[in-house]
Amino acid sequence: MKALRPAIIFLSLALAGGYVSALEPVPWNHKEYSSEFKYFQERAAFTADTWTALGPEAQEKELLEAGQPALDRQEAVRAYYAAALKKWDSPALRDYLANTKETDIKAVHLWLGKEKAAAFSRKLALTHALLKKARAEGLDDEDALALEPHLRPEAIAGLRSLKASAEALKAQTSEKALKGPDSKSTASLDKFAGPDPSKLGADSFSKLYDNMNVSGADPVAAGRGRYGAGAAGSGAAVQFTAPQKKAAFAMPEVRAVPAALPAAQAKSAALTSDAYGITVYSAGGQQPQTFRKGGDAAAAIRKMPDGSITKIIFYGHGAPGTQMVGDFDVDAGGAGEMLKGKLARGGVVQFSGCNTSSIGGATLNPAVGLSMVARRLLYFSLPYFQDRADGVPAEQARQQWDKTWNADLARDTSLNLRGAVVCGYRTFGLVPGRLPGVTRLLGNQEATTPGFVAGKKACYQDGKEVPAQ
Amino acid sequence: MTDFNVALEVVLLLGVSFAPLAAGLALRRKFSPAAQEGAEPAVPTGAQKMGRLAGNFLFWGGILGILFMIVAGINMLGWI
Repeated sequence: MKALRPAIIFLSLALAGGYVSALEPVPWNHKEYSSEFKYFQERAAFTADTWTALGPEAQEKELLEAGQPALDRQEAVRAYYAAALKKWDSPALRDYLANTKETDIKAVHLWLGKEKAAAFSRKLALTHALLKKARAEGLDDEDALALEPHLRPEAIAGLRSLKASAEALKAQTSEKALKGPDSKSTASLDKFAGPDPSKLGADSFSKLYDNMNVSGADPVAAGRGRYGAGAAGSGAAVQFTAPQKKAAFAMPEVRAVPAALPAAQAKSAALTSDAYGITVYSAGGQQPQTFRKGGDAAAAIRKMPDGSITKIIFYGHGAPGTQMVGDFDVDAGGAGEMLKGKLARGGVVQFSGCNTSSIGGATLNPAVGLSMVARRLLYFSLPYFQDRADGVPAEQARQQWDKTWNADLARDTSLNLRGAVVCGYRTFGLVPGRLPGVTRLLGNQEATTPGFVAGKKACYQDGKEVPAQ
Repeated sequence: MTDFNVALEVVLLLGVSFAPLAAGLALRRKFSPAAQEGAEPAVPTGAQKMGRLAGNFLFWGGILGILFMIVAGINMLGWI
C-alpha cells in the first residue's frame, strides 16, 4: 500500500490538472447562460472584452455565483411586467405615470425582450397623453375606448370627470358666480352707482363678521385650500381647491386659520406650548393640510382619493403604543383604519411623539440609555405600584405592564398598513420649541408640526425595520 | 417577592443617573490640588488633570442625566 501512495497522489493531481485544463472559456452572451449574462449586463459587471480577459476558471466561478440572483431578478422583472400590463386603477395609474423610469423600461427590454418593452412603453405613452388631454379638454368616447384595455372602468370614469371638475371649479370663480344670482330682485343692485364697493370700507364690514381685513379686491388670506366636492359620482369627486376670491359684503365662507396666516400674525405670546396637530401631504405637490382636531383630519382623509397621501405626521404627546394629538388618541388599529388604502405607494406615516417605537437593542449612547431607564420607570414601575396600591395582585400587575411598557406603535401600525413606511421614536423626543421660554420666543404655541426633534427615530415597513426617513 | 424585585429595580434604575454624579464627585475630590495652609498649591501632573477632567465629565453628565429624567417625567405629565 505504501508503494501505491505516490501513484495515487500523482493520479489525483493529474486528474485535477486535467479538469482545470478541460475547462473551456465561455463565450460572452452564451445562450446556455443567458440569464447570468443579462444579470452581468444590467449591473454593468462585465463587457465582452473584460469577460474574455477572465480565465475559464474565473468565468465558471462568476457564472456559478450569478446563477441564483439572475433567476430571482428575472422572476422579479416578469412579475413587474405582469402587474404593469394589468388594468390599472386610479392610484396605480398615478403611481406608474409618476414613478416609471427609463431604467424600468430598459430592464423589461433586457430581460423580456423588445416586444414586451414596446408594449409597456406604448401603454405608458397612451395613458400619459390621454391624462394630459383629460385635464385640458376632456376625453371623448373614442379615448375611453382606447384606454379600455389598460385601465379599470373607475379609473377611466375618473379621467373623464377631470374636465367636469375643472369646469365646476372655474364656474365657482367666474365673474358671474361672484356677482350673485341673476334675477329681477337683484337687478337693481347691478346699477349701484357708487364707487367700487371694496373702497367703501368693506374691510370693516368684513371685520364685523370674522375679524378679517379682506375685501373683494383681494383674495381671502386663508392661505390654504380646502376639500370640496367636484362632479358627483366621479372617481375624482374630491379635489383640492385653491383659496377662493370673496365678493365684497359677502358672508365669509372661510375663516382664517391662525396657522395659515403670515408668520408675523400667527405668533402667539403664550409662555407654554399647546402644540399638536396632524399634517397631511398629498400627491401632486399641493400645500400640506394641517388639522388641530383629529376628528377633522379623519373626516378629510376619508374624503381623499385612495393612494393620494404621501406623508402624514401625527404630532403630540406619545406613550408606548399610543400617539396623542390633543384629545385624539391614535393606536395601531386606529391609524390602520384611518389610513387604509389612502397612502400612496411608499407613503410615510410619522408619529412625532415620545416612545412611539420600542426601545430597540443595546446602545452605548448615554442619552438613549437614560431614555430607556426613564421609560421603564414611568411606564412600568410607576403604574405597577399604582396598581398595587389599588389592590391588583402583584403578578397580574407585573404581567400587564411588562407587556405594554415597550410597545412599538410604529411597527404594529406598519403591519396594518402594508407597504407604508411607519416611523416613531425609540426615545423621549425633546422638541426645543415646546420649552416654555422658547415657545414664547418663537410664538408657536399652537404649532401643528414639531420642527426639530432630539430623539432616536425608527422606521418600519411591513413589520421590518428600514432606514429612517 | 414581585414587589421586592420591582422596588429593587426602581432603586437600581434611579441609581443609574446618580452613579456618574457620585463617581464624578469622588474623582474631582481625589484629584483636586491638595493645598496645605500657607503653602502654594502644587502644579498638577498630567494624570491629575485627566482624573479631574473625567470627574467633571461624569459629574456634569450625571447632573444632565437627572435633569433629563425630570424633563421626561414632566413631559409624561403633559406639562411640556
